[in-house]
Amino acid sequence: MSTTTATSPVAGTAPVPSLTSTFVRLKLSLLKNGLRQSGGRTAAYIASIVFGVLFAAITVLGFAVMRGSVSAATVSVLVIGTLALSWTVMPLFVPSGDETLDPSRLVMLPLQPRPLVRALLVASLVGVGPVLTLVFVFGAALSVARGTAGVIVAVLAVPLVTAVCVALSRAVAAANVRLLTSRKGRDLALLSGLVIAVGMQVVNFGAQRLGQTGGMGPLEPAAAVVGWLPPAAAIGAVDAASNGDHVVAAARLLLTAAALVALLYWWQRSLVRLMVEPDGSTIGASSGSGAAEKSGGTGLLGRILPGGRTGAVMERSLRYIWRDPKTKAAWVTSLAMGLIVPLFNAFQGTGTIYWACFASGMLGVQMYNQFGQDTSAFWMVAQTLSTTADAYAELRARALALLTITLPFTALVTVATAAVLGDWSALPEALGLSLGLLGALVGSGAVASAVFPYSIPQDSGYKNVAPGQGGLAWMSILGGMVGSALLCAPLIGATVYLHLSDRQSALWLLLPAGALYGALLVRAGLKLAAPRTARRLPEILAAVSKG
Amino acid sequence: MPDQAFDGVFEEAGAAAGTAPGAGAVPAVRVEGLWKRFGQQIAVNGIDLVLPAGKFIGLVGPNGAGKTTTLSMITGLLRPDQGRITVAGHDVWSDPESVARVKARIGILPEGLRLFERLSGRELLAYSGRLRGLPGDEVDKRAAQLLDVLDLTGSQNKLVVDYSTGMRKKIGLAAALLHNPEVLFLDEPFEGVDPVSAQTIRGVLERYTQSGATVVFSSHVMELVESLCDWVAVMAAGRIRAQGPLAEVRGDRPSLQAAFLELVGANGRETAGESLDWLGGGAQR
Repeated sequence: MSTTTATSPVAGTAPVPSLTSTFVRLKLSLLKNGLRQSGGRTAAYIASIVFGVLFAAITVLGFAVMRGSVSAATVSVLVIGTLALSWTVMPLFVPSGDETLDPSRLVMLPLQPRPLVRALLVASLVGVGPVLTLVFVFGAALSVARGTAGVIVAVLAVPLVTAVCVALSRAVAAANVRLLTSRKGRDLALLSGLVIAVGMQVVNFGAQRLGQTGGMGPLEPAAAVVGWLPPAAAIGAVDAASNGDHVVAAARLLLTAAALVALLYWWQRSLVRLMVEPDGSTIGASSGSGAAEKSGGTGLLGRILPGGRTGAVMERSLRYIWRDPKTKAAWVTSLAMGLIVPLFNAFQGTGTIYWACFASGMLGVQMYNQFGQDTSAFWMVAQTLSTTADAYAELRARALALLTITLPFTALVTVATAAVLGDWSALPEALGLSLGLLGALVGSGAVASAVFPYSIPQDSGYKNVAPGQGGLAWMSILGGMVGSALLCAPLIGATVYLHLSDRQSALWLLLPAGALYGALLVRAGLKLAAPRTARRLPEILAAVSKG
Repeated sequence: MPDQAFDGVFEEAGAAAGTAPGAGAVPAVRVEGLWKRFGQQIAVNGIDLVLPAGKFIGLVGPNGAGKTTTLSMITGLLRPDQGRITVAGHDVWSDPESVARVKARIGILPEGLRLFERLSGRELLAYSGRLRGLPGDEVDKRAAQLLDVLDLTGSQNKLVVDYSTGMRKKIGLAAALLHNPEVLFLDEPFEGVDPVSAQTIRGVLERYTQSGATVVFSSHVMELVESLCDWVAVMAAGRIRAQGPLAEVRGDRPSLQAAFLELVGANGRETAGESLDWLGGGAQR
């Protein structure tokens, strides 16, 4: 052992690389290793790049076409505003896979805050998202930049806006690390799909309104405000400079630059604080505050529901609808879609009351893959099931829990659709058909739960099937839907027959017939599923424990 | 007070077992020619095992020895490829009646499987007790006592998803004990558990076996097994290497650890540090 290498082996061999280049290389190798893990991930990554490039090209083209039009400034300012907003909320809903940005991984290293933030910012700019943002901003600037002054401001504005977007996202994420590393934050992330779906509905609605008024006029006041908010203010600056309004342009550009500095300062402060304080993942568990619930293991629900397995299983199923983020997201989506689709169609004046069957269709599917919804906790159920009678009671209780919500909801949606359409005479037959369909789905869902169980990964808001079980899941649900439609054929046939043969007075009979038929289908499904469940407990457990 | 509460939970464990310790009656577990293969890998390679009733039994082995697979097959969670298993005299994998008798008589705490984590600790016990067909009042009474003994009363209304590892093991143990089983199977019950919780779990288990019930637990911490168990089975690479009373398996070796290393053939890897000549205090980097 020589003394030189013992005292400073690093200095002796090579110069110490800068922190920034280290982080950039770290980010690139994490990305590379992530892709090496699975071919599917690589494919998805490449697909997202291709899609992103196409989208960006179309957007830039759109901006170029818009160049010179009166609404160019309004649109480009608002687009950049929306872009910045999505950068802001993204870390809250999409758990970042970017480990270079996780302060808890850096806490043991001797790093100064200022170079650290610089290094992290540069590393954050590496990636598909920031590059696409850059292209977007370039397009927006292109649509408004005219003359020498406009181009000069645009050259400054484009990188500035991109940097602000990235810094905004990181600063918000760092400030919310406590939330994001806690269980509540992870639950929030699982609900992100829902937020995106609702957001798209809102955008869709807004776009339709704009289509009706025919122009960007209603958006101008909004653009006037957003044009002063960083980072969209920088695009506003390009527009102002192009119009020869140099003072406004300078003010808007300076405002954006100041925002970048402020964001970096905020980010740095959050980082410094995070490095000396414990992270949120342990705080929830150590504090004494829990769900403030009274009276033993069973609350209000326990007193209403029957005793024994039926009550216990119903109670747990109903609690899970509210407490388990995945189950909750599925239910809220189904309830919302089941309500929106029939009513929306009715309001448009194009709907028929038969759309109300959509509600029972959306909700009946929840009966599918019952045991997959338990995850590997299904062992607790399997341990207490041994006979067909036990399995029947278990499945019946799950169906009952489902029906406690779906029956009144189906009735409500059908009545509401009838009310909007003013078509009260068709209410009984529509309700009868809905109940028949619900029964078919619940019955077939019970059988599918026993025969085609599959895992639902709990860590991601988007994956609802474990790798390798996708075919099984689709087969089970699609097959179930087609099968349920076939099972309802007698009811549908009867409806069509009564209409064609002009026996309108007998159509009300479809209500009791549908209810009875649905109940029979549920019972038959449970009877078929119970012995299969009891026989296949270890196989079901293995299937739902993957991933 | 906790002691009295505790006695209430296990009032009839010995009577229910029906086998006084050492009576030479039905063994708690009998395994004959058990096989399990996952693809190319043979996880359990034709093992025979007889675990006497009323003992504290340790199933020890290195990681990947097949302990979890064996326990899963004994408790009815994993179907064996071949072999016969009886628990308290009832066949685990024959007709539903016999399986029902086994399931009613055992409690399990698996490793690597979830609980219903979106229930509070108390709700979880209420749920699993009712699934077992116990009357609601009795479940709530026993749950309250178990929560008290396991020092979980303060967290009983918190969701299990927010519990620490030690608390999860304890609530899992409570759920496994709720129906007063004859035989309790625990897969790595002390893994990742803090010393205080470990001592609580240990106390509960010792009381439970004193009342005549059987505990079978897997572990790779030899000191723990040596201090708790009076019967051990050593597993490695899917086979049973030794089984019998602790003293017999240990033989004339100084500790169970030494006996274990010899049995699984892991001796002779003590010093591998000769290339780490730069490692030590004093030098700067």
